[in-house]
Amino acid sequence: MNHELKLYRERARAWLAEHAPRYSGQARHGLPFEDDLALARAWQAHKVQHGYGCITLPREFGGAGGSELEKVIFCEEEMRYDLPLVYFSISLNNPLPIFLRYAPDAWKQKLGPATVRGELIWCQLFSEPSAGSDLASLRLKAVPTEGGWLLSGQKVWTSWAQIADWGVVVARTDPSLPKHAGLTYFFLDMKSPGITVQPIHRLGEEKDLNEVFFDEVFVPDEQRLGEINGGFKVAVETLMIERYAVTDESGYGPTLENFVDLAGNARLNGRPALEDGEVRARIAEVFVERQGLRAIHRRALEAFARGQAPGPEGAIRKLLLGRTRQSLGAMAMDMLGANGAQLAPHGHAVTDFARAWLDPSLRIAGGTDELLLNTLAERVLGLPQDHRPDKGIPFNAAPK
Amino acid sequence: MQADHAEDLASIREQARRLLQDQATPEHLKSLLNEPGSFDRVLWHHAVEQGWPSVAIPESAGGLGLGWSGLAVICEELGRLTGSLPLIGNTLAAHALIHAGSDEHQALIDSLTSGDAIATLALADPSESGLCGSSSAQVRNGRINGEKALAAFAAVADIALVQAGNERGNGLYLVRLDQPGVQRRLVEGFDNSRATALLQFIQAEVTPLGGAELLGEIGNLAALATAFEQIGGTQACLDMACDYARERRAFGQPIGGFQGIKHKLAEIYCLLEIARGCASDALDAWEQQQPTRRQLTSSARIAAIRAYNLAAQENLHVHGGMGVTWEAMPHHFYRRSRSLALELGSLAYWRERLLADLGLESATALVG
Repeated sequence: MNHELKLYRERARAWLAEHAPRYSGQARHGLPFEDDLALARAWQAHKVQHGYGCITLPREFGGAGGSELEKVIFCEEEMRYDLPLVYFSISLNNPLPIFLRYAPDAWKQKLGPATVRGELIWCQLFSEPSAGSDLASLRLKAVPTEGGWLLSGQKVWTSWAQIADWGVVVARTDPSLPKHAGLTYFFLDMKSPGITVQPIHRLGEEKDLNEVFFDEVFVPDEQRLGEINGGFKVAVETLMIERYAVTDESGYGPTLENFVDLAGNARLNGRPALEDGEVRARIAEVFVERQGLRAIHRRALEAFARGQAPGPEGAIRKLLLGRTRQSLGAMAMDMLGANGAQLAPHGHAVTDFARAWLDPSLRIAGGTDELLLNTLAERVLGLPQDHRPDKGIPFNAAPK
Repeated sequence: MQADHAEDLASIREQARRLLQDQATPEHLKSLLNEPGSFDRVLWHHAVEQGWPSVAIPESAGGLGLGWSGLAVICEELGRLTGSLPLIGNTLAAHALIHAGSDEHQALIDSLTSGDAIATLALADPSESGLCGSSSAQVRNGRINGEKALAAFAAVADIALVQAGNERGNGLYLVRLDQPGVQRRLVEGFDNSRATALLQFIQAEVTPLGGAELLGEIGNLAALATAFEQIGGTQACLDMACDYARERRAFGQPIGGFQGIKHKLAEIYCLLEIARGCASDALDAWEQQQPTRRQLTSSARIAAIRAYNLAAQENLHVHGGMGVTWEAMPHHFYRRSRSLALELGSLAYWRERLLADLGLESATALVG
């Protein structure tokens, strides 16, 4: 890592040490949703003011005009604080950059800077009840009408749709074409008539996901991003924007150190659980995995620094961390026995093993374990693609 | 790492790959498996010609000065073809002798780095799955008595680095194996090409080389270099299994198109990358003498054993019936993955060593 980036990290760390405490940890304890969201917007605006908000976006829209690597470094440092970042987890990472790439200039000026500052929040309306990993099989219909399109159908798993002002959406404009070829990409006002947002109650208590229903929602044609029937390309491009996501190295669950502490205090057959061979083997395995993932992460950053695209590092990381978060959680609960079934009051998945276990979505969202294994097998190991009976067949004639 | 150093390493790798591809042919490797205590003298001869035993030795002691990275590169290439050479033993014996005082031992150092002499690492005890514990081999008044567990290249070695106890604890000793007090016994094993033998000492002469610290260092460096050999083996199994899965067809498609096969291979890839990451971090830590080098080495050892175990086993499985025949290659890796996992202490031993390095003392130390 070169000297300039080291300096960047030191500056970021010092800046965060000075500014982050007012927006994190104690400052957030017990805040109602609305107040936490307001704090999140304030933190975003504050970062933008100091050149740390939307680091890779152009300055004319309020971004910092920085590099991908600077963004990764800042994220790594920022993650050390318990900041309210989650409401922007989608908004700023994918919909905003793709909008700034494709939208008409007047729209960019109108929405860009306000989104960068956190005043506007965006959602990404991609998944549908029968189009998750197989995104191109989506059915939300867009029918041409005077001056634009009428959207009808349903989206699901839409993060933060309930607080979103704008959204990007992919819809089927021509069902007589093969599934990838008949899609078109739009951006739309989430307050448009005909849109209904319904929250989804998750296994854990996270309040992020929604179903979104479209009943003849009008979208002007000037809000189309990309070509008519060229939407799949834009969707893939959207997903590729976050080229290398920085993730917490415990998969947003409790750390290995937390696990060791617990094993030191819990008792198993009358002795400290830390003496148990299975517990010890698990600690060693997780330590080794973390060590290997650190090396892989560093290699990815070095590739970035040389201007290369990152490899499959992200997939390995997500796969292993997702599983470990769950298995460590379950083993931690085992060590506590019957008391392991409690949820700590005001606990969070990052500190509470039961809550971490209760949210296995890291292994589903953004690609299931199976899909990630396919990606590694096909893209890295060069194995054949899965059998796809709907390939090349008109969408409305393909086996459902 | 210096840029010119990197170039040297790349050229050593290329050279090693070419030589091994020429020499370590399947037929040749199979002939070695037939007899207990087999040693690949032809390959050793070629390796010596190319200077491999001296790669890691400092230039001041007559070596090529490429450090542990140099040894790692060759070990990885050896692992890819299940070649078996006493490079780790020779390198570490020379290293220990340099540490003990090179003036006194220069002649022996020279014959180790030139390949004229062969060294074996006889660290493990017959009744101990790790490298620690009280050694049943004991040194009194400059003489050693006792036995060591099956050691690679002990069948053909001229000297042994032996872990043995004395009045003050365990230490590392040099034992010349051509003396009357040494008996070596060949045994039939599943990986006969490792030239393994049991060693028994009856009043054999020894030269003390160092105490617990040197002992620990030798065990660590041997484990680190072996991790690269295991990584080479893992990569070879993965490559072989992927090639076969792309070729072999069933139910009208290549078997590599089935998720049951694809996912198995992707899992191996993940373990391989974790092992690579751990080993390269450990290597850097040794090159730079960082205080974390011990725990990083334990991690590398654990990760390499896990990766190679899975890769060798599943490679055999992907090959189906072919995988369990003498004719096909998968069994070479299956054998080697196990012998490398057993030499230098088992997985459970390294797990406890890692936990001890992390401050989570051994289970017994926690009692009371």
